[in-house]
Amino acid sequence: MLDHYPPEEAWDDHAALDPTAWPRRVERRFRLVPTTCFNCEANCGLLAWVDKNTGQVAKFEGNPVHPASRGRNCAKGPATLNQVDDPERILHPLKRVGKRGEGLWERIGWDQVLDEVGGRIGTALREDRGHEVMYHVGRPGDDSYMERVLHAWGIDGHNSHTNVCSSGARVGYATWMGFDRPSADFANAKVIFLISSHLEAGHYFNPHAQRIMEGQRGGATVICVDPRLSNTASQADHWLAPWPGTEAFMLLAMARLLLEAGTWDREFVRQWVNWETFLAETRPDLEPTFDNLERALLDHYADYTPGEAARICGLDEQVIRDVTAAVGNGLGGLASHTWRASSAGNLGGWQVARCLQFLVVLTGSVGTEGGTSANGWNKFIPVTPLAPAPQGHWNDLTWPIEYPLSHHEMSILLPHFLKSGRGRIDTYFTRVYNPVWTNPDGFTWLEVLRDPELVGCHVALTPTWNESAWFADYVLPMGLSSERHDLASYETHAGRWVGFRQPVLRRHGELEGHHFERTYEANPGEVWEEEEFWIDLSWRIDPDGSLGIRQKFESQKKPGTPLTIDEYYAMLFEGSVPGLPEAAAADGLTPLEYMRRKGAFALPGNQYRPYDRPVPDGQLVGTECGEDGVFRSPGTAGLYKDLTEIDGHMPFIGDGSPAVEVNGQARVGFPTPSKKLELYSETTRDWGWPEYALPTFIRSQVHWEDLDFAAGERILVPTFRIPTLIHTRSGNSKWLNEISHRHPLWIHPTDADELGIAESGLVRITTRIGWFVISAWRTEGIRPGVVAASHHMGRWRLDEKTGRSWGAGQAVIDRTADGQWRIRREDTQAPYESADDDTSLIWWSDAGVHQNLAFPVQPDPVSGMHCWLQRVTVGPAADTDVYGDVVVDTEASHAVFEEWLSAARPGPGPGGLRRPLWFARPVKPLATAYRYPN
Amino acid sequence: MTRLGFVLDSGSCIGCHACTVACKAEHDVPLGVNRTWVKYVETGTFPETDRHFSVMRCNHCDDAPCITICPTGALFRADNGVVDFDDADCIGCKACMNACPYDAIYINPQTGTAHKCNFCNHRIADGLQPSCVIVCPTNAIRVGDLDDPDSEIARLHASDQGLVRSPEQQTRPKVIYAGADPRSLDPLASAIASDGLIWAETTADHPTPTPVALEASPPPDGDTARTTYTTGHSHPWGGAVAAYLVTKAVAAGVMLVASLLVILGHGDNQSTVSVLPPMVAGAFLVLTGVLLVSDLKQPGRFHYLLTRGSRTSWLVKGAYVLAGFASCCAAWWIAGLTDAGGVLPVLLVPTVPLALGTAGYTAFLFAQCEGRDLWQGRMLLPVLLVQAVVAGGGAYTVLDLFVHLPEVKVVHLSLLFGLAANFALVVIEVVGRHTRHVTMAIAELTRGTQRSRFGAWVVANLAACLLVAPNLGEVPSAVGGLAALLGLFAYEDAYLRAGQSVPLS
Repeated sequence: MLDHYPPEEAWDDHAALDPTAWPRRVERRFRLVPTTCFNCEANCGLLAWVDKNTGQVAKFEGNPVHPASRGRNCAKGPATLNQVDDPERILHPLKRVGKRGEGLWERIGWDQVLDEVGGRIGTALREDRGHEVMYHVGRPGDDSYMERVLHAWGIDGHNSHTNVCSSGARVGYATWMGFDRPSADFANAKVIFLISSHLEAGHYFNPHAQRIMEGQRGGATVICVDPRLSNTASQADHWLAPWPGTEAFMLLAMARLLLEAGTWDREFVRQWVNWETFLAETRPDLEPTFDNLERALLDHYADYTPGEAARICGLDEQVIRDVTAAVGNGLGGLASHTWRASSAGNLGGWQVARCLQFLVVLTGSVGTEGGTSANGWNKFIPVTPLAPAPQGHWNDLTWPIEYPLSHHEMSILLPHFLKSGRGRIDTYFTRVYNPVWTNPDGFTWLEVLRDPELVGCHVALTPTWNESAWFADYVLPMGLSSERHDLASYETHAGRWVGFRQPVLRRHGELEGHHFERTYEANPGEVWEEEEFWIDLSWRIDPDGSLGIRQKFESQKKPGTPLTIDEYYAMLFEGSVPGLPEAAAADGLTPLEYMRRKGAFALPGNQYRPYDRPVPDGQLVGTECGEDGVFRSPGTAGLYKDLTEIDGHMPFIGDGSPAVEVNGQARVGFPTPSKKLELYSETTRDWGWPEYALPTFIRSQVHWEDLDFAAGERILVPTFRIPTLIHTRSGNSKWLNEISHRHPLWIHPTDADELGIAESGLVRITTRIGWFVISAWRTEGIRPGVVAASHHMGRWRLDEKTGRSWGAGQAVIDRTADGQWRIRREDTQAPYESADDDTSLIWWSDAGVHQNLAFPVQPDPVSGMHCWLQRVTVGPAADTDVYGDVVVDTEASHAVFEEWLSAARPGPGPGGLRRPLWFARPVKPLATAYRYPN
Repeated sequence: MTRLGFVLDSGSCIGCHACTVACKAEHDVPLGVNRTWVKYVETGTFPETDRHFSVMRCNHCDDAPCITICPTGALFRADNGVVDFDDADCIGCKACMNACPYDAIYINPQTGTAHKCNFCNHRIADGLQPSCVIVCPTNAIRVGDLDDPDSEIARLHASDQGLVRSPEQQTRPKVIYAGADPRSLDPLASAIASDGLIWAETTADHPTPTPVALEASPPPDGDTARTTYTTGHSHPWGGAVAAYLVTKAVAAGVMLVASLLVILGHGDNQSTVSVLPPMVAGAFLVLTGVLLVSDLKQPGRFHYLLTRGSRTSWLVKGAYVLAGFASCCAAWWIAGLTDAGGVLPVLLVPTVPLALGTAGYTAFLFAQCEGRDLWQGRMLLPVLLVQAVVAGGGAYTVLDLFVHLPEVKVVHLSLLFGLAANFALVVIEVVGRHTRHVTMAIAELTRGTQRSRFGAWVVANLAACLLVAPNLGEVPSAVGGLAALLGLFAYEDAYLRAGQSVPLS
């Protein structure tokens, strides 16, 4: 019998045979240190094999005790080694010396960085300009540490990437169940329904793929909805490729068929759905009895016939019926997921999630074994030790009044707001965030980032060069996955866990008897980790403690000295993770040492149907039970007269009401205002969108009936991921880039012929604000009428010799005679000499096309989600066009911004609030900050 | 006993390439080469399109042609049935790359030695699964023991559900595919379209049947699937090996013609029979050796052929034949120098067979190249022998410029006979009925990528005939002889490249 991993007890000193010396038996000794991957959001477990002879990491394998990844990884896990060994990574803090974007830097020390940046922020805070400090993060890789930092600074300075990612799906889920994400129990499902490509893409690729295939092998039917043949679609039992933007219609037709066929879970719906509200609001003519619900729903969705769905969606009617029958066969076991995909593509995409969840609700699959849970039941965020009070401010740049229901910050609009004079930023941190490249309308970002009047100081926290860091004032190297601390938990399956990322060379060094004050002493160069950076920066912001900030980063054990990472996590693991102290004690370890040794911990207990659990009377003391059966607590968002009554931290989601009466018993329920699943969302109604209170189909910005196909219009899907890359983070992995380095435009042969595009010919794609040039790839794997190109490629660099290892071609940016921005490739990927022999073996040249530059912002007026799908004109490239060209008019892009902005329905909402108190919000402020000034 | 093999479960594979990267990490595999990779093949038309994944790697064949051909035992069978290798023994001759019908072997550009999947045998020795197994998100790569009848792999192998790649090569692979679409395993069932792969560039090294090859041998059902992802595999033998075929043909041919002249009673003619020919043959043998050694990726280890020679490899046997032939040439030369022409009829006895061996042993070497079906044809041995006659005749006609030949007509007739016979044999090969693989190779040879080289050979042959047959004099005949030699090189080069052009993966 062969083992997958050396036994845990050997991790401190494992002897392994050297593969390069084999078949001679040359022994090498390793220490295996657990950490977690920082490529995609799944945070899979890794084991770093530290070679005891060299003191360096020799390879990364999976961590077998990690509950989500179970020792397995996708290609990006082992590829972490390339990122660590990247010959062109940034090893020391850099400060700009020329003009911003000119590319002239000087190496400085961390002490200077802390003094200068900390001094700036301290001054802003003392001058009551805290709102000018912003921390803008892409994939955080950590659950709550930064919230603590921002609360301690007392600012509403958090900004995220979420509205280029998942705001749409989040609103769809939140308006049903309060929780903003699904957690599908794929492994035990009867039916797996994916509007996503979870066998290759994020949230959560490897943990989900394992369990989807496990479910399929166990007999589950897999349904995949995607306009192109993803790898997921290719392994599904049913691949449906409706017209992009019509998915909600298809889902509602399926819901109607389920109702018609009687294949729905009446008892579950009767108990757990707010059907009374639905009947009262939409059918006052009917008796409000459950028996009338089916009739009312069939009436409401009368137009969603399979025939009409077949027409609107461009699907075969029989396929719709067959798939619905499969769903109906899986009552109680429908595991579904949508993330990004159409919910991030279309105007009204949030309703795709809402309509998909409708099927989950109708089949009684909410929280069941093999069904679809809420993320909150399977994700565990420990309570932060020494949590400061929330801030009393509201940042209008990130949470503008126009989008009261936006699930996260309106990050894509930031440069337009700055250009419109809505404010300025004094100190702007970007972290794991590359807005110039990732966001739509990157040239507008470039304009703003180059303007010191709008952005006073840009601090890029990044392990490698990227397009945005080029326009920074400070480039501060932060650790990769094996060079930092983070704590994260994700709803990967039916179970709860926390995963601990740690700097493996520091851990190894400490076990070898070395002492490190700071992680950068153990990391390559002076690469630091953010968690210590924020502690030390907070001390420099408030050196004398007069702002009350320093104290929040002070050691409890040794007052007057900074909090250490060990002390922080010791507190957290001892007090905030149920079951961990006991498990550690059983092994004779402290909780912190347990986590350092294992890297992850699975919380005990079953999380199926937690909403159904009874709430003991003791927890209802002091509550008031309303006519709707909801027990509300005074002084919470659920029951107050004045906002000042709501003190301190509000719950992250929900209004704080502890229970709802169902079947004569107080039960936990859902964190919605009704504490039930909301078929009818009063919040949506009350905040300006009554027509969308129910699961609804919204005609999108790329609706096929609006397109002029004869004039060359098509729908562009520019967002799909491939299994080997992750946004701009994986750029510096040679192994990943060797596998995948081109992203041709998928186009159906009939479209290519009709549009006169030669085989492998160049294509010009024209958007509303510009155009780009890409090469064509004819395939039967895409719906005719739709073209698609993966978003990963198209990286560029402006310097001949900087950042060659991140898959980027050298480019020049200039302006055309009529003032349009233009980027053009000067050089392709090419072999070069470096410390890594492999760079001379680069055999490919394609560096792709930066499509996102040519997209205007298209914020959904409800969710705030950027609607990624583009209505474009597709045609052969002009003779003067060069592969990779992008030309953009930023005045046009600002006009498109204003057009979409005007479609929003601004708050304030009920009670003069900026946003529903019960909605989730990162770094939630005090309740009083929700009041919109008259 | 243990016979380890892999079950590659295409039904569970999600095409994520984790195995590829984990393998690169474990073995520090350089860019441009792979021990394992994932192939994507697409079939059908929208909306009935499908994509099939299959993991490709060494098959750890029970009858491993790479072990048979390896001249130094660098590739060997481990006790657990795995086909393993030892860098320290490898001379970088690349024969294994042509012997393997699966594209599984490459030359590591950093070590100059042949590498391939070795089942992570260093991990097996430590009691650990191979790195591709542990990384796979869906457990689609599984190790099993074919000698354990209850194992999954043994049961799969015994059933008709388990597929293997290229079963017709009869290598008895120990990598068994479950749930695979046969089109993703058959390298001739799918092709890379002109607009390339799904997310990687296509190079000349990416294996695909060309349009010419597909036209010559369309798939039985008329439908070629589309390869949308695969990796490059270089064609190991090129001009140096073609030149080696010519130089040893010259050496052998010259001695064959000299032998004929001896038989005709000219054994005492020092310049044209007893001294000069063995010198020419010796020079070309030295050239042959230089070419052979220079084509090694580890030229400094060429002597391993003799010191660590494997008895199964025709590279080694060929080396002995060459050495034996060289000894005969030396003896012949000494006999010539010492004016002992009388012993030449006796020397004919070993010389003629060794000359024939020198010319023809390559047919046995190429027959060991299980990946190159064109080279395994029955016609190769006669072709090589008549090519030696062409080479000998051609060389002698050139020599005629410098020395007086006693039997010019015989030499010319030999040359013309060789040219005609070679041409006839090639025609028989080209018009014959063959497998799809060989048909594609011949199509590449005659009208595909090799058509200009092949055409050059035809033209050179014709020119040689026209210049030599009418007996126009020494110079035109010598030009004709030279044309025959150059034509021979063009043919060998085309033949080698065409043989390697057919995709194996």
